[in-house]
Parts: sequence; structure tokens; C-alpha cells
Amino acid sequence: MPDVLDYDRVTKDYVTLWSRQRVRALDNFSLSLERGEIFGFLGPNGAGKTTAIHLALGFMRMSSGSGRLLEKPFGEAKTRARVGFLPENVALYHRPANELLRFYGALNGIRPQRLRQRCREVLRQVELEGEADRNVAKFSRGMQQRIGLAQALINDPELLILDEPTSALDPGARVAMRELLLEANRAGKTIFLSSHLLSEVELICHRVAILVKGRVMKLGRTEELLVARDRYEIVARGVPPEMFPGSQMRDGRLVFTVPAGLQRDALQRIWAIGGEVLSVHPVRRSLEEVFLEMTNQGADA
Amino acid sequence: MKPVALLALNFLRQHRWPVLILFAWIVLTALGAADFGRDRVAVDDAVFYVQQLVVYVCVFTAFLAAGAIHNERKSRRILLVLSKAISRGEYLLAVIVGSFAMAAAYALVFGLCGVWLTARAQLSSSGVWQMAVLIVAGALISAAVAVFFSTFLSPYLATALTLLLFAVPAAVHAQHHRGFVWLPGFPILVQVARFSFRPEWAVNWMAIVAAVLESIVFWGLAAAVFERRDIAVPVE
Repeated sequence: MPDVLDYDRVTKDYVTLWSRQRVRALDNFSLSLERGEIFGFLGPNGAGKTTAIHLALGFMRMSSGSGRLLEKPFGEAKTRARVGFLPENVALYHRPANELLRFYGALNGIRPQRLRQRCREVLRQVELEGEADRNVAKFSRGMQQRIGLAQALINDPELLILDEPTSALDPGARVAMRELLLEANRAGKTIFLSSHLLSEVELICHRVAILVKGRVMKLGRTEELLVARDRYEIVARGVPPEMFPGSQMRDGRLVFTVPAGLQRDALQRIWAIGGEVLSVHPVRRSLEEVFLEMTNQGADA
Repeated sequence: MKPVALLALNFLRQHRWPVLILFAWIVLTALGAADFGRDRVAVDDAVFYVQQLVVYVCVFTAFLAAGAIHNERKSRRILLVLSKAISRGEYLLAVIVGSFAMAAAYALVFGLCGVWLTARAQLSSSGVWQMAVLIVAGALISAAVAVFFSTFLSPYLATALTLLLFAVPAAVHAQHHRGFVWLPGFPILVQVARFSFRPEWAVNWMAIVAAVLESIVFWGLAAAVFERRDIAVPVE
């Protein structure tokens, strides 16, 4: 199946006009999105995430490399009719929500009758149907973000590109947004999600890439990234805690970790004193730990 | 073409207050000029009234059109618009069409005020509507040139350069009677400068056609330059 979004050795340099100073935002960056997945795009500020998104949408030109969006080269206007985009710090024209959505939908060539129906649907999806006639200038930041998402969904896109969609939302709205993204994904949409909220990404993304200084430092399935193959967690019963320093008792079970390669030795010690091994599995880290490890490595490099 | 029309309407809507103020200015100056009477001086003043309003609209459209890209980039609203199925060329065309529509409305208000004024001064009003056509053509080429310059210059420089391109040849022509027919907008300004209420004055339709063709060329050039610009970087 062809990739939905594909970057092939893309480099992007920003050059200042007067001093000719060159800042490399993306460095030989390659990435592919598979159809139907939710892809988490992570990285510290200035890593090049927004630059990568803007290149895909044709807001910028690559310094070198190539890229394809829905199987067409970056920058083709017609292709964007099949894409929904929510930028970071969404800026909207000051109009009633309903009118604004019709405006953005019509720019994508949606016919009036279908557009009216889609407006109702997306306003319901973002829970703003009661605010349809209110000017978005009077909306709170969170509501503006939701209208921003509504305009991204108005054309029923194949690919949703979201740059920090939950940054302005309160916890309740964040949960609603998460549900909405999962529902969109179940409906067959591919989602490219750039976010700093690692807990959100961990919960909903099938795959994750961590970008540092314009380079992909880590890429893989979320579950695999969170598993640390260098340490194992062992849960046992009938073993005194002092036998394994640093271990913890939970509900009468001893829980401790050992470096990879030493797990066999630990198991033999448990069996030798008549203890029972309940489970052995690689240590699961949080995405935050993986992220910090990668960004530190990137900074050192 | 519907997206272009929508964006043009949006452009007009964004600038509705300065446009309405300009319309009020036409009406107010017409009311002022209405007291001039019928003698020789009054006719000269009426001619000046008509000529200055043509120049105003060229300056005004250059100013509005030159700031369009900059303002939209600064507010970051351009990102949502260009994330839709809109090419850069269509986006610029919408700015020019919006300026054209604004000038057409201006020309209508100008024409109505001009007919009323000339009726009071007992002058022929046929020239007024021909000047209205010149207004629209002048605004069109002014917007197209300003949009072209604004694709690679700041809005102030783009406006200044547009106005210099129109004003310098016109001034040189007035002093030395040398022709700059090939320069954009020049044939329009020459006709405005020669305007009178006498029946022998008539609009040169070739100048109108030239203005339309030149506008298309400048739009094409602007689209080619804008296509290569990074629009998501901060404008400051």
C-alpha cells in the first residue's frame, strides 16, 4: 500500500537575508506514514517538526530531497483538498463559526448542500453546535482550537495533520479531542500528530518518531519504543526483600528489576530458596523517559 | 473560480472600513465641489475633482493590495487558507480581483456623484462614466503591480515602488512630453491628465485593454515569484 506521507532525505535550510547565516531545520530527514495509522511526531522546540509539516503542505520549499503527500509531490494544490490541517496557534477570520466553516469548506470545492451537512456534523463532533452563530472572535482559546479542528475535518480528509492540537485545551476537552481523533482513525483517517503532550501520544499513537535537531533519533511502534530491552522486571513470591536490594513488596509479591543477561541468575536464586516466579518481562518505560533519553542523546551529538 | 471569488470577497470584507471611509470621501468632496457654480474656474475645479479621485483610487488600491500578503502572513491566517486546495496564483488573483471589485464599487459611487455634480454645473456627464472605466482599469493595474512587488518586498516598499512607477513617468511626461507608453498604467494616467468635460475628450480603449493585459502579466510574474517564497516564516 503506498504511503500517505513520505519524506525522502529532505533537508531544509533557513538563510537570513542580510548575513546569509544558514540554520538547518531538517537534516536528511526521511519518514513514511502508513495509511490508517495515528503517527506521533515528537521533538523538543526547534527540532524541525513544524518545518516538516509546512513542507508537506507546500508552505515552504525543500533545500534538497523529495517528498510526496497522498502520492503527489509536495505543494500540489489539488492534493490538499484531501488533507485536513490544524496549525499550532490557530488564527481564524472573525466570523460566525458556521459561516467560517462554510468558507473553508468552499475553498476545498465542497458543494453547498454537502457543505451545510458537513458543517452540522463537524460542529457536533467538536461539541460546538450550540455556538454555530457566534463570532469565533468571542470564543475562548480552547473553543477556537476546536473550531480549528472542525475546519480541518470539514472536507472529510484522508489525512489529518495536527500541529499541537491539544495545547490550548483543558483536561476535559483534551479527553474529548483524544476520543475524536480515535473516532476519526476508526473511520479510516490517517493522523499525523505533532505534540508535546507525551501522555496523549502514548495513549493513541500506533507509531512514534522522535526528532532532534532535524534528524529522526528514534522511530518505531509505540509499544516497542516503550520497552527497555536492557532491563527486566521480575515478580516473585516467597522471597525475602533483602535478597534483592532495591526491590519492593506489592500485595505480598516482590517486584524488582535486573539488567538484561542477569535475569537467569536471579531466577535460579529464587528457585534455589523455594520461591515462585510469577512473571518476567522487559521493563516498560514511559514515553517521557524515552523522549528525554533521545533528546539528551541528540543534544550530546 | 469559486474559491477565488470567495477569497476576493473575504479581502473586501477585511478592508470594508477603509473602503467605506473612501466612499464617504467621494461623497463629501462632491458636496464640496457642488458649490463651485458654472463659470470657468468652477469647470477647472470639477475637472480637478474628477482627476484627483482617479489618482486616489490608484494609491488606495496599491496600498491595500501591497499589504495583503504581509498582513495575512503576520496574522498567520494565510496558513489555513493555503492549506486548502488553493494555489498561490489563485490566492494572488483573489487579491487583485478583490481590489478590482473595490474599485468597481468606488467607480459606481464616483459616477453617481459625478453625474449629480455635472448636472449642477450644467456640464456634459458623458466623460464621468468614461472616467469611471479609467478608475477601474487604473486600480486593476495598480493592484497587480503592487501585488507583484509585495511578493518579495515589504508592503511599504512595494507601495512606494508601485507609486513611483506610475508617478515618475507621468511627471516626466508632463514636463517634457516624452512618451512611456510601454510602462504599466502610464497611458491611463495620461488620459486622466488630459481629461476635460469637452465632447472631444474620449477614453482611449486601447489603454484599457493594455492595462488589463499588463495586469495579467504582472499577476503571472507575481505568482511565479510567490510560488518560490516560504510563507510560513515570520515576516518581521
